[in-house]
Amino acid sequence: MGLTDVLFGRKRLKGAKLDKLFALSTAQVTLEAELGLKAAGVAAVVFKPLSAGEFARAENEIDELLGVAAQTSGADVRRRQDAFGYQWLVVKDRDFEDLVTSVHLVSSELQARGFGEQLLAALFAFEGRERRVFLIYGYKRGAFWPFVPTGEGQERDNAEELRLRSELEGELPIEPDLTRWLGLFDAPLD
Amino acid sequence: MRRKAYGRDFGLSSRMFLTMFVLGALYVAFFVVMINVFDFGIVPMVLIVGGLAFLQYYTSDKVALAASGAKVVGPDEAPELHAMVDRLCAMSDLPKPRVAVIPTEMPNAFATGRSPKHSAVAVTEGLWRRLEPREVEGVLAHELSHIANRDVAVMTIASFFAMLAAMLMRMGMWGGMMGGGRNRDGGAPAWLIILVVSLLTYLISTLLILMISRYREYAADRGAALMTGAPEQLMSALQKIASDMVRIPDRDLRQVEGMNAFFIVPTSVKRRAGELFLTHPPLEKRLARLGQIAQEMGRPVAL
Repeated sequence: MGLTDVLFGRKRLKGAKLDKLFALSTAQVTLEAELGLKAAGVAAVVFKPLSAGEFARAENEIDELLGVAAQTSGADVRRRQDAFGYQWLVVKDRDFEDLVTSVHLVSSELQARGFGEQLLAALFAFEGRERRVFLIYGYKRGAFWPFVPTGEGQERDNAEELRLRSELEGELPIEPDLTRWLGLFDAPLD
Repeated sequence: MRRKAYGRDFGLSSRMFLTMFVLGALYVAFFVVMINVFDFGIVPMVLIVGGLAFLQYYTSDKVALAASGAKVVGPDEAPELHAMVDRLCAMSDLPKPRVAVIPTEMPNAFATGRSPKHSAVAVTEGLWRRLEPREVEGVLAHELSHIANRDVAVMTIASFFAMLAAMLMRMGMWGGMMGGGRNRDGGAPAWLIILVVSLLTYLISTLLILMISRYREYAADRGAALMTGAPEQLMSALQKIASDMVRIPDRDLRQVEGMNAFFIVPTSVKRRAGELFLTHPPLEKRLARLGQIAQEMGRPVAL
């Protein structure tokens, strides 16, 4: 936020930070051994194309990109749309490290094609002790936060989320501002 | 690839700059005259008004929420509303504001708060009921842009000296009525100078402040288009809000008077007064501006 933004209003959104994504691959050992979070083998990149022209271009390029991703990492990537008009690129890979690499590849490709400011979040699914647990990466923040939906409407298990935060703080860059822990309910991950 | 800045409007930016510059110059001139007439009496006055302005700035979120009868709601009470605000905030890198609902049928919304961290966004029940979810998203994005652009802070600073001038004007009138004031070297009495200068400052600065307010509406509209990627959502929302507003009886309008500068569309539209005296630009101009951004984005819009 510069002074000109305050004086004249913002003309563009903040770009995406991708470099912290890889922290997840190194943290995985802790996740599984100490927290009992087993990778569910699925992740997603959530973004929103701006214009119609961009959208048409995106459709072609993303399909092409998905082909590239599938070839290089053997991951299965699908495109979904949610009720809010966001695009979901759902990546499936049994190997967690490959999964993170694919998500990074997809995001950096999107960024290279001019969608960097339109990247909302990346979502990684884990099987927890009781229920499914998500780690969300906020592209604008360059940080992770836990997201544990209870499955009942839009309820989150805040106690579990805070517990995960304290466990993960040494391993991952965790978003310190709780008001930015966006939830992504009803993720179209299948 | 660097994205092109949509809705870049050089004309708007330069007009905004010019207006702020003129307002600043006016305030400096006002201050200089007052210092000369008052000697040192003006300093405590500035401190008093400054304190008031600061208080107003500091409590803006609470005051606006209380004045509008808005009730802060949690994610369990309004899940869809929260989900929308969540996504928009993440996209535009804003901390999440408090979310409030105003129990009135008139469709409207406002945002307030001195900084993004201490902000609140409120929508009326009528807005939620009468508008499509996409349109509500457009309205929320507009309000969040106000927060991102720090409009409460900008408007507080802009109106600071106007407040001071208004106060001095009242004092000047009072001084005139009491027949007080000493003659300075046979010149005009001090109270008359104060009255005239304050009056002029007040009138001109009010017009300039309204102008800035209108510019900031355009800027927030543009911000909404950027956040949602779909200016047409806000366009249809504005049209619906404006057309609904005309149909709602006056009783509701009077209840919310005084909140106009905050609302997305002002509640009482005085057509005859002309654009000069409005806090918001006329609907047609906002739609035209949004249509232009939509065109730049290559989105289909029916005008």
